[in-house]
This record gives sequence, structure tokens and C-alpha cells, in this order.
Amino acid sequence: MPIKKRGTGLTAVADAWQLADIDVSASYPIRPYTAVMAELAKRIANGTMKCEMVHGEGEHAQFSIAHGASMAGARATTGTSGVGVTYAFETYSPIAGSRCPIQALIGDRTLDPPGDFGSEHTDCLTLRDNGWIYGWAQDAQEALDNSLMYFRIGEDPEIMLPQIVAMDGYFVTHIAQDYEMPDQEQVDKFLPKFNPKFRLDVNNPVIMGPQIEPEMGPPLEWDRHVVMNKVKGKIVEVTEEFGKIFGRKYAPFVEEYMTEDADMVYVLQGAHAVTCRSAIKYLREAGYKIGMCRIRWFRPFPDEALAQILPKFKVAGVVDTGTSYGAPCGGGVLSTEVKAAMSEVPGKPIIQSFTSGLGGETITHEEFFAMAEMMKQTLAAGKIIQSGTWVNFNDYHEGASQINAAKTEAAPSK
Amino acid sequence: MAVAELIKSIAQTTDLVDTYVPGHRTCAGCGPALGYRLVAKAAGKNTIFVGPTGCMYVANTSYACGPWAVPWTHAQITNGGAVASGIAEAFRMMIAKGKIKDEFPNIIVMAGDGGCSDIGLQAMSAMFYRGHKVLCVMYDNESYANTGIQVSPSTPYGATTMFTPAGPAIPEAKKHHLKDPMPIFCAGGHPYLKYGATASIGYPIDLMNKVRKALAQDGPAFIHLHVPCPKGWSFPADQTIEIAKLAVETGMWNLYEVENGDWANKKFQALPKKLKPVDEYLQTQKRFSHLQPEHVATIQEFVNARAQKLGMEVPLPPAK
Ligand SMILES: Cc1ncc(C[n+]2csc(CCOP(=O)(O)OP(=O)(O)O)c2C)c(N)n1
Ligand code: SF4
Repeated sequence: MPIKKRGTGLTAVADAWQLADIDVSASYPIRPYTAVMAELAKRIANGTMKCEMVHGEGEHAQFSIAHGASMAGARATTGTSGVGVTYAFETYSPIAGSRCPIQALIGDRTLDPPGDFGSEHTDCLTLRDNGWIYGWAQDAQEALDNSLMYFRIGEDPEIMLPQIVAMDGYFVTHIAQDYEMPDQEQVDKFLPKFNPKFRLDVNNPVIMGPQIEPEMGPPLEWDRHVVMNKVKGKIVEVTEEFGKIFGRKYAPFVEEYMTEDADMVYVLQGAHAVTCRSAIKYLREAGYKIGMCRIRWFRPFPDEALAQILPKFKVAGVVDTGTSYGAPCGGGVLSTEVKAAMSEVPGKPIIQSFTSGLGGETITHEEFFAMAEMMKQTLAAGKIIQSGTWVNFNDYHEGASQINAAKTEAAPSK
Repeated sequence: MAVAELIKSIAQTTDLVDTYVPGHRTCAGCGPALGYRLVAKAAGKNTIFVGPTGCMYVANTSYACGPWAVPWTHAQITNGGAVASGIAEAFRMMIAKGKIKDEFPNIIVMAGDGGCSDIGLQAMSAMFYRGHKVLCVMYDNESYANTGIQVSPSTPYGATTMFTPAGPAIPEAKKHHLKDPMPIFCAGGHPYLKYGATASIGYPIDLMNKVRKALAQDGPAFIHLHVPCPKGWSFPADQTIEIAKLAVETGMWNLYEVENGDWANKKFQALPKKLKPVDEYLQTQKRFSHLQPEHVATIQEFVNARAQKLGMEVPLPPAK
């Protein structure tokens, strides 16, 4: 029987990893992801979980240890946050390139300087071009569920790619919530044992990661490209099966909220969706026809799904929880990706970039209201008035007065 | 693993299986390639090699063609120690859980001097510290050879490399004395590292027995292997072994082992009756051909001081 638990996104993933019977996990401390390793360590020490925990001397080593373990045929995990994500950078491409389906948990944290514990998606977005499957969980339950789904997809013999269970630092990593922990039987039914076709086996020697001539590289890269696209089909299949076995149904790619009659939508990913939903309730009362589209996968990017969904609306405001200095239209990575995905879609909405929640700031109701008001002005004008708005900089930048005005305008009676 | 028998003579090695087989494209007379072959032969079939980026990766693997009859995997130049740690612990856990029936394999990292004592030092040190059952062989061609011979920490003082050419402003070429990984790894700071040795391809039986002793350890082991590189050091391809031997005879290379972590009681092998002057060794290689007598004297002083510090009781040539 599944059991109800109260825990954080990190304990939820620890539960998923225990149920998945991982063999090796590699640790190195950095907030906010750290507690998942502390949780594993406790379970291993108590004898309730059998897993070799290797304390790496840094993130570069962590990912390398997991890589080695995976090549040996083990189910291996690791994780990190913020500058840890960037310190490990060299290892991402080799892991994906040797098709080792290790799983990493990334609890988002801003990059230095200055040292900031707050959550931003910028860390995890830096590795978007390395062939890893990933997306953001909005809460502890989804973190657990994603972890199991990611193993299943990543370890599929047709896929064999590493995955990142990403979650907003603190909002998901540290807030205790109620979630349901599935039982072993359900998990065993859903997730077969990891059984790679090739591993480091003295009875069947293979060479892994050979040096090649330049002309031999592109076909291998093409292979990764093709596989990444194949992942989309797997996501649909696995999400559906997950629903059948565990009773929790997820939209495979994009969760829609109050979109039926909406002419404006927020487009975002991760934990801020929770606040966004409640802001929408107030905005609806105040007469805004607004909804939300929450993207559940970042790689592969759900472009087909967005092409189907977004033309229903007139304005889409992408909320970026991260930066990409000098990116087009003053936006962040997410809005750049959404714009690229929609560039050739007939009847696409006007896509507006908002940057908010930087440094781990909560995106407040007022800020969501301000974005709604700005989208409304865009809607009325039929074009973007200000592109690339940094929403929570109330008192600092040129657009501040506009945002403040918009906030007052939009503020519905609570 | 049971302690494999030590080898007594070259004749005995003909019965051993080669697992480093044809399929490589290293230079003629390549010391590291010969070293690889001897290490592989001594280790046997139940072995997995980890090869950080370097000549022994690039010149040995071509897609669908490589000289190994045992499993081999690439690691980055930075992370041979970490990848090997993961492999070792994966085998331990999978065997303990009954997920696989394999016997625990020999895991050997063949790391260049760059991949072991420079950019890869951190990962290697951490691997020794954590006590994984892995052997690291640092095959030392005294340079970053694969990228076209650049300076590394184990390049001797006075050697030219692409990054340390000799010129009027810097007549001696490389200005720094070398960094010695043996005391870094084997002098007691890594409590689980119970076996460390230096070896040379000029002394193949000694090398193979050191590999066997290293693999019989319960935890990590380290072998610092001297491997002349005809391309990088500029000498004729048929001189590799002579030069390897001459290094030991002149004290440019010293053969010893540290057992049970007992750094104070090193055991020396092939200790010459007296050391020949270093000049005899330097003369054989173009990389030293620019040296002036005062530079040679600096090298002689360094070699003499190192011999004394190690406790080699052998008459030394005058430093002048
Ligand atoms: C992070 C990184 N930096 C630089 C390189 C370029 N590189 C490739 S091989 C090599 C030299 C390796 O030298 P060493 O470890 O001494 O082995 P050798 O080539 O001498 O056998 C270097 C620097 C690399 N592959 N990765
Ligand atoms: S450069 Fe030196 S180490 Fe590299 S293959 Fe040639 S001889 Fe061997």
C-alpha cells in the first residue's frame, strides 16, 4: 500500500531512489540539494537502504563517479546546486555521449557572484546543450514521481540518456509537504531492473568512449539528436502508464490551468506555478481572462505541444526564473526557447518575456498581477510595449513606474 | 583477489596472455605502449582499464579498433580517479546485492603524468584517500605528449618542451625542478594506500611483479612508471630501453617500493654500485642538448640530493 508522508522534495527523491534500488550515489555538499544525500546516508547507516555512497571531492568527481558506476552496470545517482552544476561541466557531455542513464537531482541555486543561496533556474539551464533529459517538478510529489519516470525513460534500451530531476531550491527542496510514497510492488511493476546492453564486463570486453576521426563524430551526434526526439514519444507512453499504476495523472508536456476561455497565459516551469495558480483565481475575479501553461519538460523541449496549445491565446507571458545576459528580446532562456519553438507557428500569440523570482525571491501575487496588467496592455495595443521586463525590481529600473502602476491597476479586491 | 604468483624470469612471461594486443598507432619505440603491454600482461584477463585522455588514449583507440582484449573505458584527463572509484564501488555493490555474478575485477587507471600529477591530481588523491580497490599506474613520459609535448610537472629541470623552449632569456629551458608524486601519495597522507612503487620499462620483471603486488592489495595502489618517449625526448626509436636503463644507472630515475605504507623503509631495486654522472643520460636526448655545464651541475645536485633524501646508500658523482 502506498503511504502518506510529510517531507520535502529532497526526501521525496530519496524515497524514489530507495524504491529504485540504486547501487551507487555520489555526494558533495552544497545547499540546497545537500539534504538528499544526508537522507540517503542516514538510511544506509540504519541499514534500511543498500547503496554505496561515495563522497566525491567535488562535483566534477561526483558526476565522474556516477559515470564510472553506470558504465559498470550500476544504477547510479548524484546531484548538486548552483556553482556545483557549473563546476561539473566537463562531465556532462561524456556521460550523455557514452549513453549512461545516471540520474542527478538539481536543487536550483543562483550562480556566484555574489554568493547567493536563493533559487534560480540559471544553474541547471547552463547544461541544456549536453544531451541530458530534464524538467522541473513543482512540488515534492512531482519530484518523486518525476524521478521514477525519468529512470524509466532514461534507462529505456532505445533511449539510454542521463536525466536531471530539477526543482526550485527551497520552494521544493525545503518546504515540507504531504506526498504519497508508492510501494515497492508498484515501483517494481513500473521500473524494470537496469540492464544495459553494454557494460564493463570482462567476459564481453568492449571499448567505451574511443577516440574517433572527426568525420565519425557527426553520426554519433546525430544519434543523440534522434534519440532526444524519440524521448518525446516515450514521455507520452510512460506518463500514461505511470497514471495507470500509481493513480496520478500528469499532462505529458504542458499542464494547463484555467485556459479554456483565456486570452492571456503565463508560461512557466517549476514551483512558482503554485503561486501563479492562486494569483489567477484573484485575477479571474477581477475580470482578467488569464490562465497558465506549466512546462513539465525542458529537454526535450515540448515544441509540438506548445504549438498546439499556445495559438489558442492572444498573449503569452513567459516567466523566466533565471538570466541569460544579452539574450534576444531581453528575456531569459525559457522565453528564448518558447519564442524559437513558436517562431513558425501560424496564429501564434504575442510572446512577452518576464524575468522574476531572481535570487530566490518569491514571485508575489502583486508581481503576477503586474505581469497580467502588462499582458493586458499588450493585448490592447496588439504589440509588446516593453520587451524583457525584470518584474521584481520595483524601485530600481526604468520600467519600475510602469510595473508599479500596473500592480495598482491589476490589484483585485482580495 | 588471490595474490598472484610473482614472476621469476622472462621465460616465464611467454606463458602469460597478452591483453594489450595489436591495434594501436603509437610512435615506433613508444615507452608508454610497451609499459601498457607489460602492465596488462601482469594483470591478466580479469582486468578493466580506465584511460584518461593522453597518448595512451588517443594513439590507442580508433573507432572500432583498439588494442585491448579486456574492457577499456575512456575517462577525461581530469577524472581517471573518480571514474575508477565509481567502477570499483559499482562492482562491489552489485556483487554484494547478487545483481551480477562477476568476480571483482582488477581496475587499473593508466594515467599520464598530466592526468595523474597535474590536472588529474585531485581525483587521484581522492581515490586513494577513499580506499577504493584500484591501481593507478602513472606512466610518466615527462610531458603532455599527446598535445605535442608540452611541459608537465614531471618534466625534468632543463628539458625543452613546446612550452619551455630554450632561448637567450631562458637558456635552461624548463626552470622548475620536477614534482614527485611518490611522497605526495605514498608518504603516509593517504592511509589506505598500502603499496606504492616506482618502476621502469627497462626492468620488465620488476615492473610486472610490482603490478601483481599492487593488485593483491585490499585497497588502492600506485605505481609511478618511467617510460621514455622517443618523440618527445628526441632520441632514436630503438634506444627506448637503453635510455630507460641509463636513467636508473644515473639516478635520474630511482627504483623502489613502499610496502604497508611504510614510507620510512623503502626497498630499493636495481641500485647501481655507484651512480653514473647525469650528463651520460642527458647526452642521449635532444631535449637537453642546449644545456650549459652549470645547468648540468644543477641537475646533478638535484639528483644527488634526491638520492640522499630517499636514503639510497650509493656513491654519488661530484656535483661540481
Ligand atoms: C580538460 C582538458 N584540458 C586539456 C585537454 C587536452 N589534452 C589532451 S591529451 C593531453 C595531454 C595528456 O598528457 P598526459 O596526461 O601527460 O599523457 P600523455 O599524453 O603524455 O600520454 C591534454 C593536455 C583535455 N583533453 N582536457
Ligand atoms: S608521443 Fe611519446 S608517448 Fe605519445 S605515442 Fe609517441 S612515443 Fe608514445
